[in-house]
Amino acid sequence: MTAIIEATGLTRRFGDVHAVEDVSFVIEEGAICGLLGRNGAGKTTLMNLVTGQDFPSAGKVRVLGEDPVENARVLTRTCFIKESQSYPDAYRGRHVLATAPHFFPHFDADLARRLVDDFDLPVDRMVKKMSRGQRSALGAIVGIASRAELTLLDEPYAGLDAVARHLFYDRLLEDYAAHPRTIVLSTHLIDEAADLLDRVLVIHGGRIEIDADADELRGTASTLVGRAADIEAFVGTREVIARERIGGIASVTVEGLTAEDKARAASSGLEVSPVSLQQLIVRRTGGAPTHEEVAR
Amino acid sequence: MTAVDAARPEALIPTRTRVLNVARLHAANPWPTVILPWIVLLGVHALTWSIWAIISHYAGPSLEPDAFRYAGGVSWLVIYMMIIAIQAMNATFRFALGFASTRRDYYLGTVGFFSVMAVVYGVGLALLAGVERLTDGWGMDGSFYAPAYLYDEPLVVVGFHFFALYLLFVGLGSLTGAMFVRWKAMGLYAFFGAFSLLLVAFIWWGTDTGWSPLASFLTGNPLAVVMAWTLPVTVAIGAIGFLIIRRTPVRG
Repeated sequence: MTAIIEATGLTRRFGDVHAVEDVSFVIEEGAICGLLGRNGAGKTTLMNLVTGQDFPSAGKVRVLGEDPVENARVLTRTCFIKESQSYPDAYRGRHVLATAPHFFPHFDADLARRLVDDFDLPVDRMVKKMSRGQRSALGAIVGIASRAELTLLDEPYAGLDAVARHLFYDRLLEDYAAHPRTIVLSTHLIDEAADLLDRVLVIHGGRIEIDADADELRGTASTLVGRAADIEAFVGTREVIARERIGGIASVTVEGLTAEDKARAASSGLEVSPVSLQQLIVRRTGGAPTHEEVAR
Repeated sequence: MTAVDAARPEALIPTRTRVLNVARLHAANPWPTVILPWIVLLGVHALTWSIWAIISHYAGPSLEPDAFRYAGGVSWLVIYMMIIAIQAMNATFRFALGFASTRRDYYLGTVGFFSVMAVVYGVGLALLAGVERLTDGWGMDGSFYAPAYLYDEPLVVVGFHFFALYLLFVGLGSLTGAMFVRWKAMGLYAFFGAFSLLLVAFIWWGTDTGWSPLASFLTGNPLAVVMAWTLPVTVAIGAIGFLIIRRTPVRG
């Protein structure tokens, strides 16, 4: 496999704000990579840097081996759809869809038409009069139908309801299976998108917090539930990522359990389950580490 | 990755097509840039004509022969297109970059689009001025499309005048738009601050010299030459606009 995106010491500051700070990572060709993080973590800035829409303050990024800034060789192979994409005032949905094939050489107009039906998008409406969800759907349609070698989708389904979001996941996966490419998907709806992801990059406060294979990451931590005394006995000196306690029942999340550990925990009456990606990331990026509640 | 050098892949879309694509993007909905201006212009013309008709009805033969030669309705078009250029920069820059254009392709395509429009408006207005002359000033001895100092000029000069004037104003509009896209409100303060300073310096220079060099330049040279002098100014404005755009990040 070859690297399609390669960032080294990539940094972008806005005055005192370090939106992206000394970030290094490699994304290989042909996978769906989740760029996860909280609002304001630096996801959009990072994607702007990858597509040459913004300029790094320090460090460098290479896409297909080249600097993406003002580089048509890179950009004609790239499609970046962002939540905040602005459209010309006078554009209706159909103007956007008629324009897209000129800019994205692999654009499939038939697929776009089918997606318009699927999402029930009013293409004759002025884009500025569309709801947030409809604008997102428009972006998602362009993003999927463009079939660019490198597709970046930044919060592509803001404002879409659950049904439409699942439609989006289905269509994206379907088309990805038929036409493999590299997709970078940023989202904060981690659990929803988790099944799609081969690879996970978590950005927090402008830095890469986690850079791992999605399956490996899921295996790194487990949640144990049981009587508080049993839990304490089992945990011993292990490092606990999170701890919750309600009355006599406790739940802890611990890292690095081997298969034998899990078997031992089960035999001592504890319930063992793999931690969800969302839980793991919430805990690693500063969400409520321990939480105890005493029953009254 | 070391194999960047020898076999660098070509861009999937050739340069000329990319620039053309951006130009097309401005015309995807031709209503505000191509159709509406002519409708409003003809509307203003009709209104002006009816005012002429009312005046000449009541004034009768006492009317001076050049009474209807100073209509300013056509200048509206130039201001309108300047605003369109400002808006176009603001609305289409982020869109075009979102659709994977480079800033260079974007700027060339935009300049190309407005240059073609300058030709269209120059030729269109010259043709209308021709009709005006053939119809004895729309039957009223009025001049709407070639008023004031254009009244005695040949149609070619009338057309060139509008072409150059249009380019100058669209250039100014694009520069304003570029500064807004790059620096937001601060860009506009800087633009109008610099513009006021230039204006003050210009008035100072004019008053200092008694306006005679300017007056002799304007009266001593044929209109075509005066208008031709706006072209290098427009090109300079366009070049400054490009320098601003090529380092503009996409925000928001």
